[in-house]
Amino acid sequence: MAPNTRIILICSGKGGVGKTTLTANLGIALAQQGVKTAVLDADFGLRNLDLLLGLENRIVYTAQEVLEETCRLDQALVKHKRESNLALLPAGNPRMLDWLKPDDMQRIVSMLAEKFDYVLIDCPAGVEDGFKNAASAAQEAIVITTPEISAVRDADRVIGLLNTKSIKPIQLVLNRVRPKMIASQEMLSVNDVTDILALPLLGLVLEDEQVIVSTNRGEPLTLTGSKSPAARCYGNVARRLQGEDIPLIDPSKEGQSLRDKFRRLMATKIF
Amino acid sequence: MATLSQKQIFKLPSCKRNDWRNALPKKYSDLEEKKIEVDCNDWSFSCRDLKQLINLLENIGIKLDKIYAKRTETVVSASSLGISAQLILPRPDLQESNQSHKDSSAENSEGILFHKGTLRSGEQIEHEGHILVLGDVNPGAQVSATGDVMICGRLMGTAHAGKGGKTSAKIVALQLRPLQLRIANQIARGPEEKPKDGLAEEALIQKGTIVIQPANSNGFCK
Repeated sequence: MAPNTRIILICSGKGGVGKTTLTANLGIALAQQGVKTAVLDADFGLRNLDLLLGLENRIVYTAQEVLEETCRLDQALVKHKRESNLALLPAGNPRMLDWLKPDDMQRIVSMLAEKFDYVLIDCPAGVEDGFKNAASAAQEAIVITTPEISAVRDADRVIGLLNTKSIKPIQLVLNRVRPKMIASQEMLSVNDVTDILALPLLGLVLEDEQVIVSTNRGEPLTLTGSKSPAARCYGNVARRLQGEDIPLIDPSKEGQSLRDKFRRLMATKIF
Repeated sequence: MATLSQKQIFKLPSCKRNDWRNALPKKYSDLEEKKIEVDCNDWSFSCRDLKQLINLLENIGIKLDKIYAKRTETVVSASSLGISAQLILPRPDLQESNQSHKDSSAENSEGILFHKGTLRSGEQIEHEGHILVLGDVNPGAQVSATGDVMICGRLMGTAHAGKGGKTSAKIVALQLRPLQLRIANQIARGPEEKPKDGLAEEALIQKGTIVIQPANSNGFCK
């Protein structure tokens, strides 16, 4: 295994908080910075990562065929159409759910580690076998959550499980932050969440409608060079992951500057 | 300990002496029942180790029913795998105990369980005796003791003191914001409004109901 490869698990416990969106955007953003990145879709029962990356129709093989030696790893890897540093590998076939074991996961990840600088594992929701398989090969983890008590509770549970597996460091990404709701105390604040979870914050991602648009198009926000708030946040997460020191955005100041107001005005459809 | 002897307990050797994986096959021949309880001794098991132990036992058709351990790490990993686990502490030397404390010697032998670190959602510690947690008890985590529960941190989960009926047991925390409190057979929901920071509080039974009040400095001497 290449010694410098970082194998990062992206997990949340709860479903629908943005694991796959983060994996796709982070994968693209890292690839744009010139590092070779592989994204492994361990959520193969309900696989979506290929949809978000717009690669659904290019999948031929999965990790299953690679391990059964019916194809080579390069054949199974789906290179991204515009970002040549990024490759996708689905961990399995949606019709054969229980074939993957932790050993298989470790084998496929060590194969990927020889070719890539980063391996991002998109973990399924839940804390059952799917999660355990996905976590079995990871070295570090990013836990993503939203400022809701259910998501925070599930993230806490997952962090407890990760702690028993010698996965370090575990970092936190807080998704779908709405500065206005935090200001009016209708939403858990960033401090409320970090207070409970007690993890270093890798980044905040602002709530952004553009995320839905980009998901439906199969073009992650970071790919299109969009100037939308979420795209900026994802870019920052990727740069911090690379070791750059970028200050976190302050939700209380977000959307207050004249430029933001002007941008919002321009985005409003008058007719 | 009468209840324990009904089931077969399978004791692993001390971690200083022998690897438990080597010790296991030697003991297979002793086993008669299909369900056993394993005493993990002073081994500190991660989830992965425990899984391995369970698989080894399942291969020979034996189900692991309960875990006893001397290390809190093992208990936490077992409860995160959904196996019931109990911490056993080495009994303090009874000869050293003072004659004047004779009537409380039963309590002395129970000992105190010390846990350092945050208990996260889904984690659970259970102990016969007192529990001292150095860290937070997060929402969804549970601490239960037959004696008192003392938390040097925030209690945001569920705590049960005096499990088994000891009504004089109490729960103390630097910040008492529990989801639920239980003392002996009484159950209470945590307070709705957040109490002020920096005020250690305790919960105890007064006149048959659980009340919360500022922590009393001489509370533990009784």
